Amino acid sequence: MKRDPVIFVVVALAISLMLVFAYKATGKQPSDANGPTGAGKPAPEFTLQSLDGKTVRLSDFRGKAVVVNFWATWCQPCRVEMPWFVELQKQYGPDGLQILGINADEDTSADELGKFAKGMGVNYPVLLGKEEVEQSYGGISFLPVTIYVDRDGNIVDKVFGLKGRGEIEDDIKLALGKKKPTMQAEK
Amino acid sequence: MLRKLARQALLVVLCSMLFSVTYSNAQELSPRKPPSVTMVDPGITSVVRGKAANIDLFFHVSPGFHVNSNKPHSEFLIPTTLRLTAPTDIVIGVVSYPTGVERSFPFAPNDKMSVYGSQFAINFAMRPLASVMPGKYAVHGVLKYQACDDATCYPPKQIPVSFLIKVVKSTTESQGRNPAQSPHVHR
Repeated sequence: MKRDPVIFVVVALAISLMLVFAYKATGKQPSDANGPTGAGKPAPEFTLQSLDGKTVRLSDFRGKAVVVNFWATWCQPCRVEMPWFVELQKQYGPDGLQILGINADEDTSADELGKFAKGMGVNYPVLLGKEEVEQSYGGISFLPVTIYVDRDGNIVDKVFGLKGRGEIEDDIKLALGKKKPTMQAEK
Repeated sequence: MLRKLARQALLVVLCSMLFSVTYSNAQELSPRKPPSVTMVDPGITSVVRGKAANIDLFFHVSPGFHVNSNKPHSEFLIPTTLRLTAPTDIVIGVVSYPTGVERSFPFAPNDKMSVYGSQFAINFAMRPLASVMPGKYAVHGVLKYQACDDATCYPPKQIPVSFLIKVVKSTTESQGRNPAQSPHVHR
């Protein structure tokens, strides 16, 4: 029986297409895309100084859902979401949420940062960022970048750029275990 | 014959679909292209020694991005600035920045920001002293800016700026005068 090679190609393509669609539907991304800090992976540990001089480790908050927000004073979108984080910290703090703001300014003194944070009414720890921490989270080339970590210390989402308050709250619920993951885990 | 045509058509359709899906995935996963600001080559501007001249430098901002104007509406936002250094005996005067465009962005629809969009010009005054030897001179400088798009901001950046000016004699200068030598002339 003579077999038509075109049929093989068509079948192969069809299978490839099905695999691609199935892969998209599960919301999984290739590991290369997520790097070492993709959703489902443990959030890299860090030790940083807070504005009030305390040493803060990510592991200090094990058992809590943690939002790690990389921000800078010169980042206008960061300033937009900060009041939302303040509200959400108040709202979900009793449920076990801890927001941490990691500052990425290079030339701003701790005093100026304190003034800025006070002006924004920030009610969560502001930590003085380090390059090595940014690198451990895959490199922060622009801001804001927000990492949502569940109670077990695993990343549930990594968000680049400003999103709406509703999306932030959804991710917080996800980290708190109040919501099941959606189709697309990483934005 | 018809079956062969149908098979080929099916193959083309499947190939197109596979390409579309692959392309859209590649788009999603590709890193963002960072913003860039580039100076338009101003050519060689002739400046009469002993007389003040105004020079415009034009800059392009890469599509989709904006930079803060020289007078952003917050002390924490980083203004666009140009710092120039000229050879000895060529005096750089006041640098004048254009008024920023008042724009609101999706991340803060109620706030107006003062920004430069796709192109802006910075003007400065320059006066070679009467003692400067006629010839070409290089002027160097640094443009500092901080760029954002609609949802993200990139760290402040400094780019080198350089251009040539040609110092010429005034048509009214007396003949036979022997001006002092100037050390930075570019022949």
